[in-house]
Amino acid sequence: MAAFRHILPPLLLALAVLLAWEGYCAASEVSPLVLPAPSDIVRALWTERGPISGHALSTLTVTTLGFSTSVVFAFAVSVALHFTPWLKRGAMPLFVASQTVPIVALAPLMVLWFGFGLLPKVLLVILVTFFPMLVSLLSGYAATPQAFRDQLVSMGARRWDVFRRATLPTAREPFFAGLRISATYAVVASIFAEYAGARRGLGIYILSAKNSFRADLVLSAVVVSATLTLVLLGLLLLVERLTGRRYRKAGHVGA
Amino acid sequence: MLALEDLTIRMDGADLVRRVSLRLEEGRITCLIGPSGCGKTSVVKWLAGVLPPGMEADGRASLDATPIATPHPAISYQPQQDTLFPWLTVAENAAMGLEIAGASRAEARARVAPLFPAFGLGGWEDRFPSELSGGMRQRAAFLRTIVQDSRFVLLDEPFSALDAVTRLRMQDWLCARLEEAPRGVLMVTHDLYEATQMADRILVMAAKPGRIIRDIPIDTPRSERDEAALARIRTDLKSLLLEDET
Repeated sequence: MAAFRHILPPLLLALAVLLAWEGYCAASEVSPLVLPAPSDIVRALWTERGPISGHALSTLTVTTLGFSTSVVFAFAVSVALHFTPWLKRGAMPLFVASQTVPIVALAPLMVLWFGFGLLPKVLLVILVTFFPMLVSLLSGYAATPQAFRDQLVSMGARRWDVFRRATLPTAREPFFAGLRISATYAVVASIFAEYAGARRGLGIYILSAKNSFRADLVLSAVVVSATLTLVLLGLLLLVERLTGRRYRKAGHVGA
Repeated sequence: MLALEDLTIRMDGADLVRRVSLRLEEGRITCLIGPSGCGKTSVVKWLAGVLPPGMEADGRASLDATPIATPHPAISYQPQQDTLFPWLTVAENAAMGLEIAGASRAEARARVAPLFPAFGLGGWEDRFPSELSGGMRQRAAFLRTIVQDSRFVLLDEPFSALDAVTRLRMQDWLCARLEEAPRGVLMVTHDLYEATQMADRILVMAAKPGRIIRDIPIDTPRSERDEAALARIRTDLKSLLLEDET
């Protein structure tokens, strides 16, 4: 019942928007080349299901590879920074500066440096998704209540023990929040990387559809990319729930 | 015997605690009482080896006349805040100190398992702290402290978060547990009643800088204590603390 209460409002709202959109297209007689109705998009999606799913699979590969590498990398870097304060002081401004580089500048450079293969796209996904995860992990570590650390140190715990038993569990909730933010960026970053130069993928599909003035196909690809993001978020939510019974019992922890 | 000699703690160049010395004997409860900010908690934290980074300390701790560094396995510490880890069950929390000391998970669980009924936690081993009442949480924290088998126990206001009735019950309960398994206890408290009921010795601290101004032994066994005599001690303590504030 609670889940139903959560799902119903966004479903109803989405349905209302789609109906209004469909109604507007029918009433205004706007050209489908400019604004295709939702029914046109569904039709295009069905007709193009073969090519689109092939491109979507390519995007999914880039996203999965980039995102999972980014998770591992962000965790490793966060641990290194946590245990080496001087490194953290030195590296954080560089990481922050890296976030000010616009993705529109980076994507073509990646293609220029690493070609049209998988590597530049995976690198771009890592660059875009790494920072939110790193920041959420570090802020989670910093939120560890001092009393928990003191309790462990008084028991003779070493730094790694304190990290494993108190710091890491405290960072779990912020980490998953960062993971969700990064997941939404991951699909967009993959598509952008493909847009800048690729042989396959939703990005290149959107580019060629746009060049052929096929707004219905562009929007079909958008629907697929949104679906991919939602599936990724759903999977993360599932992992969080399956691994987190004891943390749900714990409620919010953190200073 | 655990001795602390000439402990001075400084913060921002000023003495927070000046030349505090005390001795803890096994089987005896020593209460440290004093106004807020007199440095009671800092003294206990120093002995536990967890003095905050902004503070500097000079002092010596020795165990049976042998100098020791803190934290030390002979000393266990229970901070003021509730530090049961909310993501661990009662049994996992209770076994944590033993695991850190080197016991395997199975060994640690086996050692804590028989103690739950005596601590009023029988049947609650696999529950999480959020499912426990305030008194039960406190008993679980005591269990974690006591099971470490250290000769000395530092308790920083262990009953401050409890309601009045639970607090009275827990005081009697803790004294009974400590009689079964004697330890040298140093307990910080603000509560004059608690101090006179539980302590074998009361150390009174004054503030600015924190120092011990009176050492009051209570030699009568707890079960034979005369309320009138305790009331007299409380009156003395009250006037000492009020005098220091003025």
